[in-house]
Amino acid sequence: MKLSRLQSIAAASLLIALATTAGASSRPRYGGTVRILLHDRFSSLDPMGDEDHPAARDRVTALLYDTLTEVDSEGRVHPRLASSWSAEANNRIWLFNLRLANFQDGSLVTAPDVVSSLTHLSQGWKVTAIDKQSIRIEVPVPIAHMPELLALPRFAVVKRGSDNTSTGSGPYKISEWQPGERVLLSANEDYWGGRPYPDAIEFQLGASLRDQLLERQLGRYSAAELTVDQLRPLEQSNQNLQLSRPSDLLVLLFLHPDNQVASSRQARKPVDARVREALSNAINRAAINNVILQKRGIPASGILPQWLTGYEFLFPGGTNLDRAKELRSEAAGLVIINPIALAYDFSDPVAKLVAERIAVDAREAGIVVQPFGEAHIANKSARAALNADAVLLRLPLQSLQPAVALAAALDDLGLSDPTAAPLNAGRLEDVFELEGRTLADFRVIPVAHVSQAVWLNSTVHNWLQAPTGEWKLDQVWSEGGK
Amino acid sequence: MLKTALHLGLFSLLCMGLPCLAASQAIQVIQTDIQPSLETLATDFVRQMVSRAGSLAAVSVSFQNISVLPPESQEAVQNAIFTGFRNAGVRLANAEGAQARVDITFSEDWRGFLWIATIDVNGNKKVVMKKVARPEHTTNARAPMLTIRKSAVWQQDTPILDFYQDNQTLALLQPDVISIFANDSGVWRPRYTLAITHPQPWPRDLRGRLVVKNSQLTAFLPGTRCSGSISPPSLDCRASDDPWQLDQGSLVAFYSPRRNFFTGILAGPSAGASVIPFFSAAAWQSGDSHQWLFTGTDGRTRLYQYDLSAPAAIFNGWGSNLAAVHSNCASGWQTLLTSPGDSVRPDSVQAVEVLGREALPVSAPLDLAGPVQALWTSGKNSEIANGVLQSTSTGQYEAFTLTVNCGR
Repeated sequence: MKLSRLQSIAAASLLIALATTAGASSRPRYGGTVRILLHDRFSSLDPMGDEDHPAARDRVTALLYDTLTEVDSEGRVHPRLASSWSAEANNRIWLFNLRLANFQDGSLVTAPDVVSSLTHLSQGWKVTAIDKQSIRIEVPVPIAHMPELLALPRFAVVKRGSDNTSTGSGPYKISEWQPGERVLLSANEDYWGGRPYPDAIEFQLGASLRDQLLERQLGRYSAAELTVDQLRPLEQSNQNLQLSRPSDLLVLLFLHPDNQVASSRQARKPVDARVREALSNAINRAAINNVILQKRGIPASGILPQWLTGYEFLFPGGTNLDRAKELRSEAAGLVIINPIALAYDFSDPVAKLVAERIAVDAREAGIVVQPFGEAHIANKSARAALNADAVLLRLPLQSLQPAVALAAALDDLGLSDPTAAPLNAGRLEDVFELEGRTLADFRVIPVAHVSQAVWLNSTVHNWLQAPTGEWKLDQVWSEGGK
Repeated sequence: MLKTALHLGLFSLLCMGLPCLAASQAIQVIQTDIQPSLETLATDFVRQMVSRAGSLAAVSVSFQNISVLPPESQEAVQNAIFTGFRNAGVRLANAEGAQARVDITFSEDWRGFLWIATIDVNGNKKVVMKKVARPEHTTNARAPMLTIRKSAVWQQDTPILDFYQDNQTLALLQPDVISIFANDSGVWRPRYTLAITHPQPWPRDLRGRLVVKNSQLTAFLPGTRCSGSISPPSLDCRASDDPWQLDQGSLVAFYSPRRNFFTGILAGPSAGASVIPFFSAAAWQSGDSHQWLFTGTDGRTRLYQYDLSAPAAIFNGWGSNLAAVHSNCASGWQTLLTSPGDSVRPDSVQAVEVLGREALPVSAPLDLAGPVQALWTSGKNSEIANGVLQSTSTGQYEAFTLTVNCGR
């Protein structure tokens, strides 16, 4: 074969290929600042603290603090601060060996530091140091997925100073922190995993994307977190958007359990189980998904999405107005049905629309739902003092391992029950049964699974969004660096 | 016969993936089919159902498919499940004559298929689930002009930076060790590992170069150089800013000790010359003409001809890894290029030839299972490129070789 024969065939295609892919390159470059707009505000960088928007906080703290393990976008577990691990006693005892790593203050990460950090979580675990570089975790019930569990942000290894300052061993350090406004992180030159590519990452909190678009300032940012109602104009202008799988759970949580003992201080009584079931039957999840969520989600019947478990379809979740009316009538013959006060996150315009739609659907079944905006509904301690019957929550999917994801969701809902913890569920059937038990009394009513979205500048590379919506910024880099 | 053929098709359809991945093998063997057959999967599924229900004498069975399992495959799976029931001594009956109703759904999650059986015995429902791996996608081969041939050398869970291979020895350069394997009747068996010491944490996107000559090893790593031998085994590492040998001797360059690129200052035959900082480079001689390509850290690839005083051409949109390969085809020298794009996504490699100041593709892109981590010219006569990729689906690192073959 002669080269000359190839030329005429190939030249045009190469020229086209080169023209359309100009400027791209695959190997990461160092330097520069990655600027990110976050939708929500948070006031603390403590990965274990109670927070109004913990998911937003976790995007930042994942860069400051290491966990013992990490889970990649394919759901595989990898070592992080722990270099290796093993299980004994049928997964009741776990041994973790630590790698040589330093906190950002220069001190070595030792087993006592990790013990102190994990004990802080008081899960009924017995965490002890075996030697300077290895720890032992003994748990009351077997945990088959301990490595996946310890990858959750809440299990970050934090060194706490006497003045309650916290230090991590992550790839970035805090340079500036204006609570609720802005965080500037700088690269940790001595990070055990290698210095990150960017010199700095800057997060702007509570940023209004609409304002940025109006001011045509988006170009100076590398990435911006989006809500589903912001996607259409950006799609129409062919912007670079990444959507996760429908991962966040929009869910109604009734705050007061049926067995709650009435007290004079307790202004609100539990909503009758039949009314809750009636409400579940009345909600038109398809309409919420199609109209309000602009088809960026899927109607939910379970806590965990179908794409993760494959079994969500087994839970009933369709609209059945006749059944809703029937249940409401049954309840009305036995109890007084009061209006349901439904709190939603006042900073989330989509949550407001969904709550209002639920109220409309409920009215069809003769149930009165009164939605109102609240600031602290995701904050568990603040939620306990809320003058509401139910809250509409948006919970991130925290793990690609179903048992761990369910455990985290139940914890976020305030429904953790050590005796029924999904963490000791060895089989998928066990997770399914536990999830089914959680849904059975309609205290938890799933509404939709919603995708997370991010806008990306063409100058930012290696931005990985896990199926859960979690950002994997470990390898991110930006053009314009050194 | 037809049934057998269909089952064999399903065998490959259903049984690739999770069950056959197992763990990384310490000893690489020729891949054999160790996946369970469709019959085995169905038998196991039925066995779980019987176990969960206590006992099943006669059942009515219904199926629904909410997955991407195609109808013809669904039918074969159903038949296998029916056979499984019969073999388990469970009679298939209509609804009236059945002791239990079994509703089977072919569902799926993000990683594979999920068979779900809901067993209803007098209103008492039990659920059984069985995960079944989804087949890997296959891509149609495109019609190339020249052909890039890829040969897998080794796979493992941990990073590989570079490797050396001859008939007797395989040496893998890894971040903290060099592993030596010996050829035992076509199987690489581990012999020993040589530890790499380094005072500083490695930079991200760690790169390294392994050069073996007459059993003598030299490993170039950022800020570190290791020297030793394969036999007797030895390795001595020290902090060093010695230039790295990029190919078989014509390209020698200094590497930035805390970064992932070459500084642009050249040594060896081109000592004294400098170009812009680059990720990779290729050099070859065609007739009396020396030619060089450098993939700059600015995203542009520069072609130099005759000398290194000024680029003859600048190309945009190339990936940052390339290697020159000598072949018997066309002009005799091709450059293998990776594709542009993020280094967390699957890559491809394409062969181009430089003619004058133009670069012309002479092969179809060869799609790879993940991003290319390393690509170096190798072989006694530069006839091979040694590559390393990380599979995006399995996370494993794969060492492979590339050669250019003439014709389709």
